[in-house]
Amino acid sequence: MKDYANNQITLLQYIFIITGLQVNVSIVSLPRNLAETAGTDGWMSIIIGWVISAAASIAIIRVMKNHPEGTLLDLLTRFMGMWAGKVISLLLSLYYFYILYDGLTRTILITKAWLLPTIPNFILMILLLIPTYAIAQHGPSVLGRYAELIAYMSLWIPFVYILTLKNAHWLHLLPMFKDGWQPILSAVKETIYPSLGMAATFILYPFLKHKEKAATGILISTSLSMVVYLFFTVICFLYYSPDDISNYNDVVISVLKSIEFKFVERIEVIFIAYHLFLYSLVWIPTMYLTTYCTSWLFRQSDHRGHMTWLCVLLAIGTIIYSPTFNQSDRLENLLTWIGFGTEYVFPVCLAVYLWIRKSSKRRPAHEGKA
Amino acid sequence: MVDQHNDVHNEEIPTELVKMITQLECVFSDTPDLIMRKLRIKQTGEQAVLTYLDGLTDKISINQDVLRPLLFEAGSGEAGGELMMTVGHIEPQLNWSQIKLSILQGSSVLFVDGRSEAYSLDTKGWPQRAIEDPQLEASLKGAHQGFVETGEQNIALIRRYIPNRELKLKRLTVGQRGQTTVSVLYLEDVVNPNLLKRLIERIQQIDVDVIINTGELTEFIEDSPFSIFPQLISTERPDAAASQILQGRCVIVVDRSPSVLVTPVSFMSFFQNVDDYSTRWPISTFLRLLRLFAFFTAAFLPGIYIAVISYHFEIIPLKLLLTLGESRGQVPFPPFVEAIFMEITLEMLREAGIRLPAPVGQTVGIVGGIVIGQAVVQAGLISNIMVIIVSFTAISSFILPNFDMVAAARLIRFMLMVLATLFGFVGLIIGLMIMIGHLIALKSLGVPYGSPFAPVRFTDWKDTLVRVPLWLMNKRPLSTTPIQIKRQGKSRVGEESE
Repeated sequence: MKDYANNQITLLQYIFIITGLQVNVSIVSLPRNLAETAGTDGWMSIIIGWVISAAASIAIIRVMKNHPEGTLLDLLTRFMGMWAGKVISLLLSLYYFYILYDGLTRTILITKAWLLPTIPNFILMILLLIPTYAIAQHGPSVLGRYAELIAYMSLWIPFVYILTLKNAHWLHLLPMFKDGWQPILSAVKETIYPSLGMAATFILYPFLKHKEKAATGILISTSLSMVVYLFFTVICFLYYSPDDISNYNDVVISVLKSIEFKFVERIEVIFIAYHLFLYSLVWIPTMYLTTYCTSWLFRQSDHRGHMTWLCVLLAIGTIIYSPTFNQSDRLENLLTWIGFGTEYVFPVCLAVYLWIRKSSKRRPAHEGKA
Repeated sequence: MVDQHNDVHNEEIPTELVKMITQLECVFSDTPDLIMRKLRIKQTGEQAVLTYLDGLTDKISINQDVLRPLLFEAGSGEAGGELMMTVGHIEPQLNWSQIKLSILQGSSVLFVDGRSEAYSLDTKGWPQRAIEDPQLEASLKGAHQGFVETGEQNIALIRRYIPNRELKLKRLTVGQRGQTTVSVLYLEDVVNPNLLKRLIERIQQIDVDVIINTGELTEFIEDSPFSIFPQLISTERPDAAASQILQGRCVIVVDRSPSVLVTPVSFMSFFQNVDDYSTRWPISTFLRLLRLFAFFTAAFLPGIYIAVISYHFEIIPLKLLLTLGESRGQVPFPPFVEAIFMEITLEMLREAGIRLPAPVGQTVGIVGGIVIGQAVVQAGLISNIMVIIVSFTAISSFILPNFDMVAAARLIRFMLMVLATLFGFVGLIIGLMIMIGHLIALKSLGVPYGSPFAPVRFTDWKDTLVRVPLWLMNKRPLSTTPIQIKRQGKSRVGEESE
C-alpha cells in the first residue's frame, strides 16, 4: 500500500526519531516529578525505568519481526484478520494523536509561560502547525533527516547545562537510599511518560533500511534517552535543594537562569526559544504517524488529505478549548497509563501470542514431516 | 507555431534552378537580408545560386572559400561532378525544412541546377563578443576566461579542462521557433545514468517558442518551481563548470547564453567557489564558515533585532540597553516599520545600482550614502543601531558567491522580519524550522538538496564546512550519487592511506 523502498530511513535516523519522541516536552518536568516522589534518589528510578522500557522495546521488535514487510497494522491483518487491523489502527491513531496533542499543548503552555504571555493559544497552535505540516507531509525519510539534523544541531545544549555546575552542591545527592527502596520504586512510574514513543516502531519498522539491526537501534535510543534524562535530572538535583525543587514547574528551564554571560544578559530566553526544536521532535513524527494510521484505516494511499484536516481540526479545537497547566498534567497522568498499556503491556502480550501461535503451528508441521 | 509553409518544406527540392528561386522567394518572403547570388560554376559548368542571410554569415569565408573556388578554379568540367570548396563542413541537404533551418542558423546553401540536393556550407559567423574575464564571478587565482554567447565555444572552453574521451555530450534542441541547441555535458563513467536520463527527459519535455537564457531553462527543469531556493547553479566560469563535471554532475550549455547550468547541486554547493581550491585549505575553510555565517546574518539579523527590541530586551546587557534606549527614544516608529523602511531603501539602492548606467550609478551611491548614513538618523526617523544592522546585513549579503542564493536570503529576511514582529524569538525559531524543513525535503534532480547534512553523509563533509587538503579528498561527493566514487589515488609522497 505504501511505498516503503522510496522512503527508507537509516538506523541512525531511526534512533534519533525514537529518542526525539521520548526526550521532548517530557524532560521539562521530569526532575521535579521524580523529586516529589523519591527525593534526590530519583535518578536511580530512571535507571530502573530504563531496564523496563528496554525490555518493552525488545518485545516491540520481536513482534515486528514476524512481518518485516509491513507495519503493525499489516501484521495484525495477516495474523488476526482484517477487523483486528482496523480496530488497532483506530486505537493506535488515537494514541499517537494523544501524544501529538499532549506535545503541542505542552509546548504552547511552556512558550506562553516563558516567552509570549499575550499571544492567544490558537495562534501559537497555527504557528506550530505550519512547520509540522511542512515536514510531516513528506513521510519517514524526511522525518528521519529532520530528527538527525536536530540531534546534531542540539549537541551544544549539554555544554550549556554543564555551566550551571559551578553552583552545584554535590551533597544534595547524599545520602543515597534515604528512605530505602520503596520511594525509588514508586518513582519508576514517573519515568514511563518520558519513555513513551517506542510505539513509533509499529509504523516505522518497514521503512527501516537495515531491519536486522532494529533491536540494537531501539536499545541505543532508549539508552540515549536514559543518559539524557539522567544528565538533566542530576544537574537539576545538584542545583536545587531537595526541598526547593518542587516549587518550580519547569525545573529544566529554570535552572538556566543561573547562567550568565558578559555579553548577553538573560541568555536563557534564547535557549528556551531554541528548545522548540527539541519539542518539535514529538509533534512532527506523531503528526505523520496519526495520519498514517487513519489513512490506512480508510485505505487511502496519500496521508496528506488527512493531515490537512487534522491541522484544521487542531487549530479550531484550540480556539474552543485548550488545557491549562494543571489540566495538561492530568492529561499526562492519563497518558502514562494509556502509554504503559500500549507500549509495555500490549507488545509483550502480542509477542507471547504470536510466539504461541507460531510454535503451535510449527509442532503439527514437524509431526507431519516426521 | 504552426508553419504555414509546411507543405512546401517537406517537399523535395526541384531540380530546376528557376523553380527553386521562386520557392525560396516564397518561403523567405519579406526577408530583404536574404542574399541570393547567382553564379556559373567554373568547375562543372553548371548554373547555381548561393543563398545566405546577411549578417549571420562570415563574409570573408563566403568570398574566399566558396565564391572564389566556384567562380575561378577549373575542375572536371562535367555536370554533376564534385564541387571543390575550401569550407570545412559541407552537408548535402535533401528537403526544405533542413535547408530553411540551416539558412536561419547562419549556413549558406548552394543550389545547383539539375541536382536534387543542395549543399549547406558552414560559413557561420555572427556578431560575437570576445572571451573576457567573467563579470559576475570574479576570481583571484582562477582562470580569466568566461563563457560567451556561443554554445560551441563554451563547450570548447570546458573541453580544454577535461581532454578525456569519457566527456560526453548530449545535444538537444529546445523551442519550436528558437531551435535553441541545449547540450548536456557529463563524464560517462562517473555520472549516475538515472540522473542523466531524468535530466534529458525533462529537457525533452519542454515545448515552448524559444529559450532565451539559462534562467528560462531552469524554470522548466527544476524540481520544485515554487521554492525560493535555487536548485541549479548557473556559472560563467569554465573552470568551475569543469570541476563540477569531475564531481559527477551534469553541465547544461545553452547556446546564446553566457552562463551554463550545473545540476544536481546541494545547498552547500552555493557556498563553494573555485578560489577555494586554489587558496590554502585553512583559509578557504575559514571563508566557507564566513560565508555560511554571512548567509544566516543576511537572513536573520534584522529579524533578531526586531525580536530583541520588541520582545526580549531583557537579554541586552544593561549598558547597551541604555545606549539603545537613547537612540531608539527619538524614533517615533515601531522597530518593524523602522527596519522595513531601511531594508526597502537598501534593496532599492541595490536594484538601482545594477540597472543604471555607470555615470548615473555614482549618483545613487552618493544619495544612498547620505540618506542612509546621515540624514535619516539626524532627522530622528531611524535609530543609529538600525543603520548599523542594515549595513551589516548588506555587507553579509555581498559576501556570498552566488547571486541566486543571496536573492533567496533577501526574501527570507523579509519573512523573518514579519515573524519576528509578531512572535519574537519564537517566530524566528519557527521560521528557521520551516526553512530547515523545506531544505531537507527539497530535491535537485531527485537528489537530496540538504546533503551532506540531511541526510548526514560524513564522508562528504570534507568539502562543505571545512575544505580539507585536496590530497585527502580521494572520493567524489556522494551527494551526486556517482557510479565511480574514487576520484584520485595517493597523491603525496608519504601520505597515509585514507
